[in-house]
This record gives sequence, C-alpha cells and structure tokens, in this order.
Amino acid sequence: MSEQLPLSNLRIANFGWVWAGPVTGQTLGFLGADVVKIESRTRIDLTRTLPPFAEGEGGPDRSLSNHACWAGNGSITLNLKKPEAVELAKEFIAGCDAVVENFGPGVMHKMGLGYDELVKVKPDIVLFSMPATGQYGALKSVRTYGMSLTSLTGVDSITGYADGPPVPFENAFADPYNGILGAFAVLTALNYRDRTGKGQHIDHSQQEAVMQMAGPAFMDYELNGRVAGPLGNRHPLAVDAPHGVFPCTGDDRWISIAVTNDDEWSALVAAMDSPAWASEAAFADASARVANIEILHEKIGAWTATHDDRVLADSLQKAGVAAAPVLNVGDLLEDPHYRARETFVEVQHPLGFKETIYGAYVKTSRTEARITPGPWMGQDNERVFKDVLGMDAARFDALVADEVIF
Amino acid sequence: MSDGALAGIRVIELGEMVSAPYCAKLFADYGADVVKVEPPKRGDRSRNWGPFPGDVADPEKSGLYFFLNTNKKGVTCNVEAEAGRAVLDRLLADADVLIENYLPPHLRALDLDYASIAAKHPHLVVISVTPFGQSGPYSEWNGHDLNAFHLSGASSRYCGRMGEPPLEQGTFAADFYGAATAATWGLAAVYGREAAGGGQLVDVSCAEAIAATFTGGQNIGGAAQDGRFDKRTGVGMSLGAPATIMPCKDGHVWVLALEAAQWDGLARAMGNPDWMSVDIFQNMLSRAENRDMIYPLIEEWTSQHTKMEIMDACQAEGCPVTAVFTVQEAAEHPHIKDRGGLVTLEHDALGSVRTLGAPFQLPLCPGGPITAAPLLGQHNEEVYGALGLDVAALQADGAI
Repeated sequence: MSEQLPLSNLRIANFGWVWAGPVTGQTLGFLGADVVKIESRTRIDLTRTLPPFAEGEGGPDRSLSNHACWAGNGSITLNLKKPEAVELAKEFIAGCDAVVENFGPGVMHKMGLGYDELVKVKPDIVLFSMPATGQYGALKSVRTYGMSLTSLTGVDSITGYADGPPVPFENAFADPYNGILGAFAVLTALNYRDRTGKGQHIDHSQQEAVMQMAGPAFMDYELNGRVAGPLGNRHPLAVDAPHGVFPCTGDDRWISIAVTNDDEWSALVAAMDSPAWASEAAFADASARVANIEILHEKIGAWTATHDDRVLADSLQKAGVAAAPVLNVGDLLEDPHYRARETFVEVQHPLGFKETIYGAYVKTSRTEARITPGPWMGQDNERVFKDVLGMDAARFDALVADEVIF
Repeated sequence: MSDGALAGIRVIELGEMVSAPYCAKLFADYGADVVKVEPPKRGDRSRNWGPFPGDVADPEKSGLYFFLNTNKKGVTCNVEAEAGRAVLDRLLADADVLIENYLPPHLRALDLDYASIAAKHPHLVVISVTPFGQSGPYSEWNGHDLNAFHLSGASSRYCGRMGEPPLEQGTFAADFYGAATAATWGLAAVYGREAAGGGQLVDVSCAEAIAATFTGGQNIGGAAQDGRFDKRTGVGMSLGAPATIMPCKDGHVWVLALEAAQWDGLARAMGNPDWMSVDIFQNMLSRAENRDMIYPLIEEWTSQHTKMEIMDACQAEGCPVTAVFTVQEAAEHPHIKDRGGLVTLEHDALGSVRTLGAPFQLPLCPGGPITAAPLLGQHNEEVYGALGLDVAALQADGAI
C-alpha cells in the first residue's frame, strides 16, 4: 500500500449541510483530501440531533447516523453572522482548492461568500453548488426534501407495485447519490483547472443528476411516446422474466431472482427439478415469459415459499441462476460478504466512545481509504486556525470568547 | 482532443448493459477520450434490450444503448480469442483507464483479471463495477442489478408495503449508483495517480455502495449498538405526517408538511378547513399517530385538483409539496428545457433523437452528449488504423 492517497494534495472547505453536501466532502476525504466542514453552534445541523446516540446519551456530537454520513470530514465552527467570521472563512478558502455547498441558490452570496467574492481571495477556486434544482431556471426556488426530490425526476412515478400507484421511497436515496457524484464533479473541474489555470462555479442540479436514472424510461417515451408507470421489480425494459422478489420461509424473508436470457431460464428450470409447467409454451421464450409474467411469478413464488432464502440462493447460484437473499438492516452486519469486505467497521470516536460506521465501501488496491468518524463540532478549530492560518493563541481565545469561532 | 474538463484522459471501456457503460459515459460526456470495446457480431447486450422504435428489434436502434453510450468511439474486439486479447493489450498500452463490468470468474478465465492486466500495464487505473465486487464470497456469484439492489438493505428498509415484496425503483438503480461511485473513485485514482505512485484497481460493488452509503449511513450505527432496526412502512414517513404520496385529479403529489410553518402553509393552500387547526394536529408526530384520520381528509382536497395546481398553491404558501412528475412531465418541463437538459443527437440508424443532457453544468467546459452512440465497430478503421494495425488482417485473424 502506498503512503499517499490520490487526493492528498487537496484542501476543501465544505459548507455542505444535512446529507448530500457532507457526503461530497466525505468522498474526497476518504480519498485523501483535507476536508473541513464549516458549521456553527448558532444553527446546529438537524442531522446532528437525530437519535440513536452513542451509548444512548444525547447531544449534537453523538448522533450515530450523523457520524456515519459525515465521516471523512473535519469541522471548524464559525458564526457567519459576524463579519469577522466571514473574513476568517475567506482566509481559509484562500488556501483551498474547492468549496462545496448545498444550500438553496443565492444563500452563499447573501453570506458574503458567493463565487464573485471567493475569486477575490482565490482566483482559481472551484465552487461546487448542489441545490435541489440548480442555480437558475423556473423551478430554482422550489422547496423539496431529499426524500421527495425524486418526484421531480420521473423516478418516483415508476416506483411501486406493477400497475399500481407510486409507492413512496422512504428516505433520500438522492442525497448520498448526489453526494458521491458531486465529488466526481469537483474532480472534473479540478482537472480542468490543472490544465488551464481556471476555476469555475459548478451548477449541480440534484434533479437533473437523478433524472439520468430515468434515462431508460425516457428513451421509451422519446422513441415510442409511451409513459411508464410503476414496474414492481420487473426488468425495466421487459427483456425477460422471471425478474422479481419472491417469498421464502420465515418472517419477511425474500429472495431476488433475475432471469435475463434463455441460459439463465434453463438453469432455473433445472434447479426447480424441471416441473411440468415450466415446459409449457407460455414460458418457452423470453417474450412468452414476459407476456405471462404474473402467472410465472405466482408459480415461482409458490416454489420459493417453502425454501430458506440463503440456502436457496446458494443452490440457485451453484446452478448459475442470478439469485440473492433480500437483506434487512440487521442482516447487513452479519452477512458473510460484507464481513469479508469490511463494509462496516467499528471505530473509536475522538470523544472516547466506539461506534459502527461504513468504511472503505470501494476497495482500492494501491491506497487505503482514510476513514475517520464524523467530527465533533469544532474538532479542527485549533489545527485550522492556529496551524493552517497561523493565528496566535491570544487572538484565537478572544475569537472564541466573542463567539466568532462558535 | 476535446476541450472538455477531462480532455486528455484516455479510457477503454470493456462493458455491457448499464453499470460500466454509464460509468464510461460520465467520463465521455465530460471530455475524456473513450473507446468502447464490444464483442464482434453481437455487441453490447443492451443493443438487444431496446426500447426500439415501434418495438421492432434492431441492434443499431436500442434506446438504452443510445442513452448510455454517447460521446464514445466504438470498436469490436474478440477478447475470448488470443488474437483479440493482443489487440486489447495494444489499446490498454496507450490508455489511462479501463472500465469493465464482467463477472470476476469470466475475466479470470480470460486472464483479464486485475493481476494479469496490472502485470502488463501497471500505470492503468482499472475500474471494475459489478453487482458484488471482486472479493468476498458472492464475488463468484452470477448477478444483475436487481440482485445487487435487494442485497443492499435499501428495499427492506425503505420501499414497499409490509407483507408484500420489498421494491426497487423501476429502473437500474443499483447499476446507476455503482456507476457514479465507480466514476468518482476511479477519477480520483487517475487525478492522483502520481501522488499514489501508479495505477490501481478500483473495485466497486453496486450492492455494497448502496448498503454502505445509503442504508448503512442512516441505520448501521444504531443496529450495531442497540440491536434494533426498522423496516419499510409503505406510507412514506412513519414518525411525521403528512409525508406520503397521494392521488390527485391527474396523477399523484408528494405531500410533505412537517414543520409548523409548512402545516400552516398547507392549511392556507387548502382554504383553512376547520379541522386543520385542531390542537392535536399541531405537531408532526401526533399527526402521524392520527394518519388514518387526516390522510383521507387531505386526499379529499388533492383529488379535486391537478398536480400542478396543488404544487403551485402549496409552494406559494411555503409548503414543500411537489407534483409526482411522469417521466414525460419531468423531461419536458420548461425548467429542464431552459437549462439545456434535453439534447438532440443525429444517429445513423435512429435519425434525430433527443437524450438527457449533462448531469451537472461546468460553465467553462459544459459537458453533456455531443455525438451519438456508435454503430457496432463504427470506429474500427479510425482507432486501429491510428495504432498502425491492419483492420482486414485483424478480421482475418478473428481478432475483431
């Protein structure tokens, strides 16, 4: 393993809040960048206050979900309502490569930290903005939550049981997706900066980024004028069947089975001990199976219902069928695959308690991702203000007393 | 060379279907030089997946292939044959990145696993994006997007009704998520290749990316510490209301009014019905406890109005209710059109067809689709010719 992570030469100021922006910082941080979140006790981020808490003890520095989702970021506290704090933020940004934020359009500008101000202190700065619907356009002021943002992309309209109403996706899938893709956006702009010397203001509309996931359905609309509805777990392009989630023994236990070609179908039929119904004309080829998908799924569900999900997945895999257990949250910790890949790791938080977060969810062969748990508020104040900005102890103490560093 | 953000980065894609092609599209749409390598004759399997105009199958007219392969050059190469692998080696010698999504046992059998490639091309960043990844017991498994998604915990926790199967969104959600993750970590490995001291393997499991950053981020700390965890409800949010999708006159709306000001805004939009000012309905938790009572009352109102009437009225009152746009309504919305979110491309087989624009905007080097997806082997002459290879001879060899 190499000593140096790929992004170890980068420093990032992260004004991101809630979930998406912090994940952009996290991604860059795991890959070696020095990422510092800028936040304040004057308005504590809601996600810092969400239970469950470490050792059951409440407080803004002990939310377990916050520590997982903000891992990889550092934290300094600045009360940006005070002009001195804004100046300190700019002083820090002058030594940064990029600034990350996911407020609504215009909020950074109102704080005196708009792109036009930032280029005065760092001419080639990259400002990454990730509002819900972009920096401009008719919907730029629309209010959404991450959970409902997907309603504006078409993705919610195709989520639900086949031919039924849309079923809500009950958390903000878009947030970590945009957070990770946001780090890609930052790196594209830094690549351009390194080649040309020019920074820029990236406009990452979460709506447009997620709409790409509806691309396959968009193409059917574009080419055939068809507007898709909810599909259940069926193949999005109706390429083959069965393609679904089927019941197994036990409470809320399921298996996913995806057949996408005749070879996989033959393997499944063999694994089922070649029941007579499977050789009927109604299931003879992909288009017949798709046309008769409801009865096909019923028959397969009746067969899976007497099997254990893991035992069945193993035996189907041995036959070459793409099948896997449907895991619940508790299963994630025990699953042999995630254990082997060390997907979840117990870490020691600087405040002294142990907690479980996700670790290097991508495996890189030369460099080992740097996993640090989500920071306590102001964890990096001394390092950033004194070591990076060269502030003397007397001024630091005065700024803390004046609630500028706060 | 393009003037895009990633100009100068040379990528070889050895991918089919969704994950690796979308990962490589992100590189291509932002200016990298991407050559897509397909099996001769059959090509990428998504060429057979459609959707096709008029539902008439034609491997040069697949809408999915058209969407996922913009800005790429396409060559054919039979990597199953020794001669084909020699051609692939020539391509890799000049490349910075290889993006692939074949299952690990398949590539091992062809000596195209990372160890074999790195021995010849140590400078190369190899991005592998597969359902389960390159290590761990399931790395030997067959798998598709659906299997990966349901292995992530996301569906059990967040989508579907109890007693019915957990759901994936009606698209290749795990493949897209894995592709974006792979593009990000892969680009970092290229960007910082000198700092890191050379190329490396970037091993992405689509299932793991979601299990960690989505499901895990929100749930794993509590599950590990307290041994407790939650499951899907089918109704939106369980601890706050209203937070669900409701039917309206012409479709559905996402009804969200959690904070006090949002609830008051919703009340104004609905014409201040008396029941909404009742004490018990003044916080989101007690509203959630009385969900069965209040949802029908709100639905009575939504069912009399269109999704846009509801969204406009609520948004004007500071309440974050949104229309559930169909794919058509989302793409054709003036907001998207004004932002350049739809791009028309000329394709030799499909003609003039629109696709979605760039996922994010770079003002100095915009990005997004410029050239349509390649026909099968369209750039054989250009790409192999530039390497000094004789295309006719390669064909005779069975290499391409």
